[in-house]
Amino acid sequence: MKHLKLIAFLIALSFITISCDSTRTALFDPYSYQKTTEIKVEAIKIMDKAATPYQNHKQEVEALFLEIEKLQEYEKNKPNNEITFAMWQVLSNKEKNLLAGFFKRWESKEVLSPLFIDESKKQILSALDLLIQYEINKNKKSKEQLLELINLNS
Amino acid sequence: MNTNNLVQEIKEKVRLLIAESYKDFKPGLEKDLKTFLETSAEKLERWTILYASEGINEEELEWLLKSQVDLISLQALQTAGISKIKLNALKNNILKLIFEIIISLVVKRS
Repeated sequence: MKHLKLIAFLIALSFITISCDSTRTALFDPYSYQKTTEIKVEAIKIMDKAATPYQNHKQEVEALFLEIEKLQEYEKNKPNNEITFAMWQVLSNKEKNLLAGFFKRWESKEVLSPLFIDESKKQILSALDLLIQYEINKNKKSKEQLLELINLNS
Repeated sequence: MNTNNLVQEIKEKVRLLIAESYKDFKPGLEKDLKTFLETSAEKLERWTILYASEGINEEELEWLLKSQVDLISLQALQTAGISKIKLNALKNNILKLIFEIIISLVVKRS
């Protein structure tokens, strides 16, 4: 009887392991969700100041990118999290025209025009929302996987 | 400036250019063009109006168009997965063509 219980436990454990491994997607992470939301709010706040000289806000921009760097390092080392990490790489690449690209342009132009700030802000917010939605959907996906597993074993 | 048919006009002009100058890459370019225009129509119209009314300059228009390409790359990354797409999925040729066409349309109409 004791052996049977152990075998049943091992079978269930192997189902969970195979199920998680085959999806190759990290589970929902409240820390990633919270930090990404905080970065989004902070980024909007700083971008709204881009009609004034960059040098006056250099420290705020640097502080924002330090937070992004820390989160990126965290995402990089999480198993099966390649997509989130790749998305952060695009956002933080100064040669791309999203978050880091905006601040690079602000630094090189010193001030940006209000209409350009409005339009580029919409683009960057959409990109950050994609990241946030992707994290939330990991939760939905993991719930579906769990339900599948329960149904499979019932 | 009438922008009702702007996207349609861009589409037709780009198709013509692809047929004339980019025959070898035609299938890939047309697919990329379709994706770009379907997801960007509203923005292309808005940015063209802003450019025509001198709300944004040529350099800013180009920056915004490139940002749209990067945004579509992000969307593709999350829906298609990292192994299925290249981050620079939209070819630079398409972007250059759209940019040049918007500039020429604005110059023609103004």
